[in-house]
Amino acid sequence: MSVMIETFNLTKKFNNLTAVEDLCIQVNKGEILGFLGPNGAGKTTTIRMLAGIIAPTKGYALVKGIRTDEEVEKLHEIIGLLTETPGFYGRLSARENLLYFARFYDIDADSQVDKYLQKMGLWERRNDKVGTFSKGMKQRLALARCLIHEPEVLFLDEPTSGLDPESAKEVRELIMKLGKEGRTIFLSTHNLEEAELLCDRIAVFRTGLVVIDTPQNLKQRLFQRQVIVELEKVDQKIISAVKSLDFVLDVKEDGRQLTIELRDFDKNRPELVRCIVERGGNITSVFEKRHSLEEIYLTLVKEEEEMKA
Amino acid sequence: MNRRIKNIVIKEWKTTFGNINSGLFITLLPLIITAQALVLIYLVMNFAGADVLIKTILGKGMENWVNTFPEMAELSLVDRFQVFFFAQFPFYLLLIPVMIAVSFATFSIIEEKQERTLEPLLATPVKTWELLLGKALARAIPSLLITWLCAGIFLAGITWMGSAHLLKFVLNAQWFISLFLLVPLFSLLAFMLGVIASSRVNDPKAAQNIAVIAIFPILAILGLQLMGFAVFTLTKLFVLSIVMVIVNFFVLQIAIKLFQRESIVVRWR
Repeated sequence: MSVMIETFNLTKKFNNLTAVEDLCIQVNKGEILGFLGPNGAGKTTTIRMLAGIIAPTKGYALVKGIRTDEEVEKLHEIIGLLTETPGFYGRLSARENLLYFARFYDIDADSQVDKYLQKMGLWERRNDKVGTFSKGMKQRLALARCLIHEPEVLFLDEPTSGLDPESAKEVRELIMKLGKEGRTIFLSTHNLEEAELLCDRIAVFRTGLVVIDTPQNLKQRLFQRQVIVELEKVDQKIISAVKSLDFVLDVKEDGRQLTIELRDFDKNRPELVRCIVERGGNITSVFEKRHSLEEIYLTLVKEEEEMKA
Repeated sequence: MNRRIKNIVIKEWKTTFGNINSGLFITLLPLIITAQALVLIYLVMNFAGADVLIKTILGKGMENWVNTFPEMAELSLVDRFQVFFFAQFPFYLLLIPVMIAVSFATFSIIEEKQERTLEPLLATPVKTWELLLGKALARAIPSLLITWLCAGIFLAGITWMGSAHLLKFVLNAQWFISLFLLVPLFSLLAFMLGVIASSRVNDPKAAQNIAVIAIFPILAILGLQLMGFAVFTLTKLFVLSIVMVIVNFFVLQIAIKLFQRESIVVRWR
């Protein structure tokens, strides 16, 4: 799989403030990478460097082999940028706004504009002034603007930030479609559910890269898989029996629930259930404990803070 | 015209003239300046009188003018003063593009930042010089057209004031060079200075304070001629035009250097 975005010790300092430090990251062609981090972590600065808007203080980045700090105009032909708060010329119509941006590229501006107005569900409102649009409509129009020249790489900075749940859902669905079209997407967000839903891999970032992996691997790396057994009644006889099993690493009691950590989740589970039933336990349900991305993220950020301290 | 510059110019026209206040300002201000010039000349000639004027500093300016253009010697003192004043009008007209530049060009980049359209714009393949020149031309072209229209109105005003017989002294090569060479060059300079100011500060008022500097050279030319320190002959106007072409070229280069994308995007709030 070919690499589309690659950074080499990418660093940005504003006077004494380090916004991004030694970022080394690779994003493959067709991949959606979630760039997660708290506010002020340097996500927007990273996107601006990758989009050739600002230059790094140290290091460099390549997007499809193009240096983002040296071949800016060439870079802008192949990327699309959705800024955190996309602005429009309020006195111009949706179509006029898109046409203005489209005409900076060597494309058939009229047909591309019409295509994306339809694709983004804005065809009926194409001649209305953008000043009258809702936030969700503006965001869809902004997505149309960054797609108008069919870029191979998209940088989306907080695409659902400030949108109502319905508009956010629409935007997420659009991003999902774009991912299926094979575009490489660099998605900055602090919405963890969104990242888990949309992204192939997630990079947790706080000035520097904390960790990068698939959501599933991140969960496995941080948390041992655990089984939750819900009983009609928990008694000490059952807990002792479970603890005595050699493959059980840990048992926690919480009301009618036992949270059990096993050496081999898939192999040991039937034996565990058999043991509880043999000791007279009435099991009402058995399921795997799900760790949310939020737990992973908070754990990683906390670890990072502790390490720095 | 380059495709991208044309795109910027058309968009700027749509956003500027789509606003009735901007449209009115661009149209009315030049008309007021022209009317003001005509009324002023009329009042001075009719109420101050040539005999009084000859004793003032303007008398020295007029005498220098007559010495440079001996064909004016055949005119009466009143007519000489009138021709002298009429001939200053193309320089006075330079104030129109400068004032429009101060009002509009200074807002051009700040507006993009305030509307949050600058970052998406900078993410397109548009080059800095295309953006700056496009913004300057978008304002310079209409203000140039309106300036020429005002020159026509001024000539009609001269006729209306009963001085049609003086037009042959006014409409000489200097008049046409001033109007069709100097006015466009000064306009472009004024608008580029306005755009530079707009790209350096994040407050329109501060940008206007910077751009207003462009008025000084115009006032200097007017003042030097009126007070008799210099007469801009055909040769001098040609030299001035060449200097202005060079100045415009360098100002564009300076504008490109001073337009710091990073600073505008990151530091402006």
